[in-house]
Amino acid sequence: MSEIDSLKAQLQALQDKALELFAEAADLQALQDLRVNYLGKKGKLTSVLKGVGKLPPEDRPVIGQFVNATKSVLAEALDKAESVLATKAREMRIEAERIDVTLSGRKCAQGALHPVQQGLNEMTAIFTQMGFETAQGPEIEDEFHNFDALNIPQEHPARAMHDTFFFNAEGEDEALLLRTHTSPVQIRAMQACVDAGGEPPLAVVAAGRVYRCDYDVTHSPMFHQVEVFKVDKDVSLANLKGVLQHFLSAYFEKDVPIRLRPHYFPFTEPSAEVDIGCVFCNHKGCRICKGSGWIEVLGSGMIHPNVLKAVGIDGTVYSGFAFGLGVERLVMLKHGIPDLRLFFENDVRFLRRMGA
Amino acid sequence: MKIPFSWLKEHTPIEKAPEVVADDLVRLGHEVESIDMPRAGVKGVRVGLIVEMKPHPDADKLKLLKIDLGDVEHLSIVCGASNMKAGDKVPVATVGTSLPNGLKIKKGKIRGEVSFGMCCSEAELGLAEDADGLLILPQDAPVGEEVGEYLELEEAVLDLDITPNRGDCMSLRGIARDLAADYALPLIEPGDEVVTIDDSVAAPKVTVSAPDDCPLYTACKIEGVNVSASPDWLQARLIAAGLRPINGVVDVINYTMLDLGQPMHAFDADTLVGNIEVRTANEGETFTSLEGKEVSLHAEDLVIADSQNVIALAGIMGSEPTGVTNTTTNIILESAAFRPARISITRRTCGLVSDSSMRFERGVDPAMIAVAMDQVAQMITGLFGGKVSATTTVGDAEHLIQDTQIKVSMRKIEARLGVDVPESADAVLERMGFGIEHQGDNLLFSVPSHRPDVRLAEDISEEYARVIGFDAIPTELPSLATISPNQPDTAIIDAVRLGFVQVINYAFISADEQRLFVADDGKDLVLANPISEAMSVMRRSAFPGLLNTAKYNMNRQQNGVALVEQGRLYDGSMSQRQETNILAWLMAGEFQGDSWYEKARKADFFDLKGAVEAWLSSKGLTARFIADDEVQGLQAGQTAKIVVGKTEVGYIGKVDSDIASSFDLDSDVFVASIDLDQLHAGKKAKFQPLPEFPSIERDLVFLFDKDVTSESVLQTVKKACGSQLVQAHIFDLYDGKGVPEDKVSLGIRFVLQDAKRTLTQEDSDQAMQAVVDAIAHQFNAELRG
Ligand SMILES: [Zn+2]
Repeated sequence: MSEIDSLKAQLQALQDKALELFAEAADLQALQDLRVNYLGKKGKLTSVLKGVGKLPPEDRPVIGQFVNATKSVLAEALDKAESVLATKAREMRIEAERIDVTLSGRKCAQGALHPVQQGLNEMTAIFTQMGFETAQGPEIEDEFHNFDALNIPQEHPARAMHDTFFFNAEGEDEALLLRTHTSPVQIRAMQACVDAGGEPPLAVVAAGRVYRCDYDVTHSPMFHQVEVFKVDKDVSLANLKGVLQHFLSAYFEKDVPIRLRPHYFPFTEPSAEVDIGCVFCNHKGCRICKGSGWIEVLGSGMIHPNVLKAVGIDGTVYSGFAFGLGVERLVMLKHGIPDLRLFFENDVRFLRRMGA
Repeated sequence: MKIPFSWLKEHTPIEKAPEVVADDLVRLGHEVESIDMPRAGVKGVRVGLIVEMKPHPDADKLKLLKIDLGDVEHLSIVCGASNMKAGDKVPVATVGTSLPNGLKIKKGKIRGEVSFGMCCSEAELGLAEDADGLLILPQDAPVGEEVGEYLELEEAVLDLDITPNRGDCMSLRGIARDLAADYALPLIEPGDEVVTIDDSVAAPKVTVSAPDDCPLYTACKIEGVNVSASPDWLQARLIAAGLRPINGVVDVINYTMLDLGQPMHAFDADTLVGNIEVRTANEGETFTSLEGKEVSLHAEDLVIADSQNVIALAGIMGSEPTGVTNTTTNIILESAAFRPARISITRRTCGLVSDSSMRFERGVDPAMIAVAMDQVAQMITGLFGGKVSATTTVGDAEHLIQDTQIKVSMRKIEARLGVDVPESADAVLERMGFGIEHQGDNLLFSVPSHRPDVRLAEDISEEYARVIGFDAIPTELPSLATISPNQPDTAIIDAVRLGFVQVINYAFISADEQRLFVADDGKDLVLANPISEAMSVMRRSAFPGLLNTAKYNMNRQQNGVALVEQGRLYDGSMSQRQETNILAWLMAGEFQGDSWYEKARKADFFDLKGAVEAWLSSKGLTARFIADDEVQGLQAGQTAKIVVGKTEVGYIGKVDSDIASSFDLDSDVFVASIDLDQLHAGKKAKFQPLPEFPSIERDLVFLFDKDVTSESVLQTVKKACGSQLVQAHIFDLYDGKGVPEDKVSLGIRFVLQDAKRTLTQEDSDQAMQAVVDAIAHQFNAELRG
């Protein structure tokens, strides 16, 4: 056998062995080792080339070609084996990292806004968007702001309708009480305007806690009201209706029909109770609206001239409307909450459900 | 005010159904609480004639009756009553009838005798609360007719809520007037019969020494009255209207009050001494009401007196000894006008209320004083006999019932309503008794005596609004200048975002609860008329409320709670009272429950502190927490003041464990409170360029004396590092095995960065060396190996 044939046979054997080893390689590292072992600078293929020197010069290019061919076969086989192994490794890793995606996520601490607070926020937002300014007043009030200035004199029967909490007032000049409505804020806001040398227009929304000495299934001794009023030249009952219709539709997120019924409040003239079409039966009549299709939601009216007089606003120039609404009542209607007491029991299961 | 429908129809010929009338009343401003058919349950009860009555063979107290109901056969009924006799007509409930009290009539056997129905008493028909024996019907009652129809029982009764300004509508006539005007029907005038005056009876002598409070007083005497029960129809009407029959005279007075609106009073003339005087009370004078209640009077109270005693609190109630009874033969009738405010105040100070006071307080039409007097005298003499004296009158009746004239601008009224008033409205108002005259824009409006509530242009605008209907008023949004609305308060929303549930507690707590967290310094604000002791003091701390809420929830399967409340605290003296806006937190029990990734952990001080810090940071604020062992109700060593800038804004701490246990809370409870009024808006976020050069992170661990505070350590290292320090924080705290007992190991992590260049290893080594030196100098603490 000639030298060249012997080399060729050697190369062929090397290639066969290598391909066999490549196929058996267990992982990428083993393949890398084989690559070094065969194709590296000190690899087997290189060492075969060392024998080329013994060949006659005319045979050298032939064997050179042969070596290169073997090299590319091995390189190609290595690349292929690597790719197969890499795919396999990736598949194994993915399989190993498989998780139960139905397990619960890690909990973020979640709070809840009290439903009454949500109501207050929603209502206040509607009015501020309409251009009413917010105002606040004290909860501990005097008789002037809570009653007298609102045209409810001492002997007025309406005064008895407010079940008022009074404070022990030994040695005090004037009786103090917990405000029975948010209407005193109306007085204070108008007084502040006049005292500062200002004049109407005034458009105010005042939300807050109010108190009545009444405690049963349908009454809480503390509850929330939103008071809204506007004083300007030529404010009319039609304007009151406009604001009420806009507010109630915005709050209930639908076009609710409204109905005004003549009523009596000492601080407004004319006065009206306001009903909305029952939200439970869509105005058709059900148990909750006692079959009438209407549900009473708030009291309203044109500010009585005596109220304007009490704060020093000229009732021949200015007029205004005012209304006060019970926040709990509207929230109950909007969310179908059946019992007022739920608001003040503060059961977190209820609060989380409503506040979510 | 209960309005029996048949009675209403006697005042005006209404033909509409009660439901329709109810809707119209609502439109006119009279709230209809309900439409009742109180005795609708008597269907099947018929007029029966007792044709035979025999004793029951086996029972002494029972009778065997044969009843004629107009049917072919007579009915056998076993009856336990004893007030009837053969020939009487009685209500008979036949088999299958259900009575108002729920009793269903069935065929039955009583002591061996079969009974095919039941004879009824007034109570069983729902006509009275209790009754003695059967209701004996008048002889002319048609046999077999439904008793409900015969007695006009089955009628609608409208229950109205009359507003306090409409005293005139506290009567059938008043309600009928509004309806008649609306329906354009006639209002039937009362009092066309004339009372025959008998001069042999002396008219009562009356003096009025308080004419401001009693502008008109009239009285007459009726002698020789034979008082007995009032007739059934009258009693039935009183009951339907919600009043209890008492005796003939009182019933007639009450009937007339309901009918015409004028409350009157009758005295037993023989119990009076001397003449009648209307005067103010003597301070301390006493009065025993009809209900037997003794009240002590004030000097300004208006009374009716004889020469010895107070015989009535004017307009409110007569005295017990002078009242008319079944044995009374001579009576004095009073019909008068009293000043509403006077009645209102006395009613309140004396704690006495009556149908009479309710009307006088709201204003009674003085035009009815004489009419009612005539009607009552006529009815009494007609029913019970007697001779009537002339009427004594003190005061100017003419003047009292004059119309009041008001001149207003029609344009103003229309501007107030936002609508042009149609001419048709005038006719309705005129039927209500108003006089109307237009002179250009001017409106001359004359108000009758029954409408004292109409005095101003605005009142007139309301009358127009009522008659044209609120539905006819257009809906117009006013022009609202959109001024910059105030910044909304986000305090509670920010707290809720951090995982807390907002609660709303009452502003009043018990005095004992107050004392848990606030010392008794005389600054509690105490309610004079609380719901209960537990709700009697205005809170000066939100913690009792939060603890109660925690207790409520922990008793309901909650393993932990994180609560927040926004509200006010109240303190000070009455003249220097203060309301403080606060935000308060409570955390107790498990912070998070057991889960597949983590075991449950109980909340501690730092959970709450972290929340408070995060909340403050949402406002752009940072706080210092300064240990404070002197906060009442909170545990020393786990309590701190919260200081923002130089202002103490609140505190945070662990609730004393005895206090927590008193609220049934076994876990540690942490609370915090921040005074919102003390907080000023923090810095607004301002843009800063992002750092260009990389930062270096270094850790150092030192062994400190145990009582070291992390705040002082961090202050020291910040000073040592200088401006290249971006952040330093405690990343490790260890005092377990390997650390001497009086020491604690703190690991501090530093982030260093320079705005102008990349820091080198040498730079950070230098900084760390400065830290080691400073710590050694300040705390005598060494690097831990
Ligand atoms: Zn309904």
